[in-house]
Amino acid sequence: MATKASRSAARVMIAPSVLLLLGWMLIPLALTLYFSVLRYNLLMPGANPFVGVENYTYFLTDPAFTDAIINTLLLVGGVLTITVLGGIALAILLDQPMWGQGIVRILVIAPFFVMPTVSALVWKNMFMNPVNGLFAYLAKAIGMQPFDFFAAAPLASIIGIVSWQWLPFATLILLTAMQSLDSEQLEAAEMDGAGPLARFRHIMLPHMARAITVVILIQTIFLLSIFAEILVTTNGGPGTASTNLTFLVYAESLLRFDVGTGSAGGVVAIILANIVAIFLMRMIGKNLDT
Amino acid sequence: MARAISARRKALNTAIAWTIGAMIFFPILWTFLTSFKTEAQAIADPPIFFLFDWTTENYTTVQERSNYFRHFWNSVVISIGSTIIGLAIAIPAAWSMAFVPSKHTRNILMWMLSTKMLPPVGVLVPIYLLFRDLKLLDTQFGLIIVLTLINLPIIVWMLYTYFKEIPGEVLEAARMDGATLRSEVLYILLPMAVPGIASTMLLNIILAWNEAFWTLNLTAAKAAPLTAFIASYSSPEGLFYAKLSAASTMAIAPILIMGWFSQKQLVRGLTFGAVK
Repeated sequence: MATKASRSAARVMIAPSVLLLLGWMLIPLALTLYFSVLRYNLLMPGANPFVGVENYTYFLTDPAFTDAIINTLLLVGGVLTITVLGGIALAILLDQPMWGQGIVRILVIAPFFVMPTVSALVWKNMFMNPVNGLFAYLAKAIGMQPFDFFAAAPLASIIGIVSWQWLPFATLILLTAMQSLDSEQLEAAEMDGAGPLARFRHIMLPHMARAITVVILIQTIFLLSIFAEILVTTNGGPGTASTNLTFLVYAESLLRFDVGTGSAGGVVAIILANIVAIFLMRMIGKNLDT
Repeated sequence: MARAISARRKALNTAIAWTIGAMIFFPILWTFLTSFKTEAQAIADPPIFFLFDWTTENYTTVQERSNYFRHFWNSVVISIGSTIIGLAIAIPAAWSMAFVPSKHTRNILMWMLSTKMLPPVGVLVPIYLLFRDLKLLDTQFGLIIVLTLINLPIIVWMLYTYFKEIPGEVLEAARMDGATLRSEVLYILLPMAVPGIASTMLLNIILAWNEAFWTLNLTAAKAAPLTAFIASYSSPEGLFYAKLSAASTMAIAPILIMGWFSQKQLVRGLTFGAVK
């Protein structure tokens, strides 16, 4: 059916998308690599001499880098643990027969549509504030000292906020997977005397495995780039207690105007993200063939 | 007997699910309620739930003090603008890959996806400097360009998965009946493609509206959309809970409503067809 003419027409139709994305990827990437080997600070105009790997050595040996890597891993790992476990539980719960399922679904999904700066500020001020926050009232009501979330546990507080935003995503995807599970299979297992735990372990979990992997991979891509939530709550602090890799690169380049070091940090971030991306791409690619 | 047990179980499920749902939704409800309180009632001890003097003065104050609707309008222009341009670029591409697939189609799709994996912070410095030199910092146009490009892979992919589902046999049948190319596109393809295009549009507006890396880093005051405007509440205005709530409610309400309509598309769009 595909003639020569329609083939070349197809090429013309694809070209704009491909060229734009190619430009969007290659030009900044080349510039980042180029800047990363220069001594280039916006506060010191003049020549930007080539310095080789100096920026990388500086960035990688900075104690803030080690902190940022640990914080990034804790942030991604913490949010993944909460959202995946919570998502599995919620997906199974919402898949059960109940009244008003559609409404509960809407309530559960809502946080995903709240813009990051709003959810971070609402949680920080109206819930976690040690004087006027709702949690402080709750603590006082049961006779406890209010907890100063962002001073005592800045990273854990951010993990909590981000988990609230991403739990709906995990739930929605896993619920979609659960709904494609053949209910007869579950009933048959129940007849054969399989308890709830056995049914979960041997039927539900294997059925959801693929969706769980997708949730983990996609969330990781987004969670590596968490930025707004940190900016409006802690600004990375106190010290570097809640600085992740994304925030560190932002601070180097746009707060300290050190373009060279910022670019080197950018390259490090790209390499880390790519490790995850390879796995994700493989999964999606497999699906494309079937 | 079995029916009685299942009815009881259904009631229990309902109770647990509604409780959890209410807890997850509570921060949004609380923000909404607080936006109608006075500042004193907003921090009252003990907290007041419904029995306060409902007032809309926070909404007017937010607008008067900070020209709220200018930022709202920026969000509208940027999210809708980038979505329309993105669709205009992506529809032909997705269309041709779905209907005239070649041996490169798979690779092109995968490569497009890979551009989405690039962490934004990896290209922050050059984009920032380019924007500075091209005088695009803090302009609506600059943000539209960036948001179009970062969401283009998602748009192409989503459209591709929708177009792929349009059966080719229908087209052949029409051709047999002597339909011209024009009527083929106009009366057969277009009506079948519209739902897919509409859902893609909806999801993309949501993503663009909530994007909070580039909007925060590339705008200052003039072109700042709501994401960046709300960030300016981080201190000290954020401690005026009623006003923060009013600004937040207006910022999330339109997208919350759109989002509820696009739950299904969300799954397809954000998993690149890996979960359906």
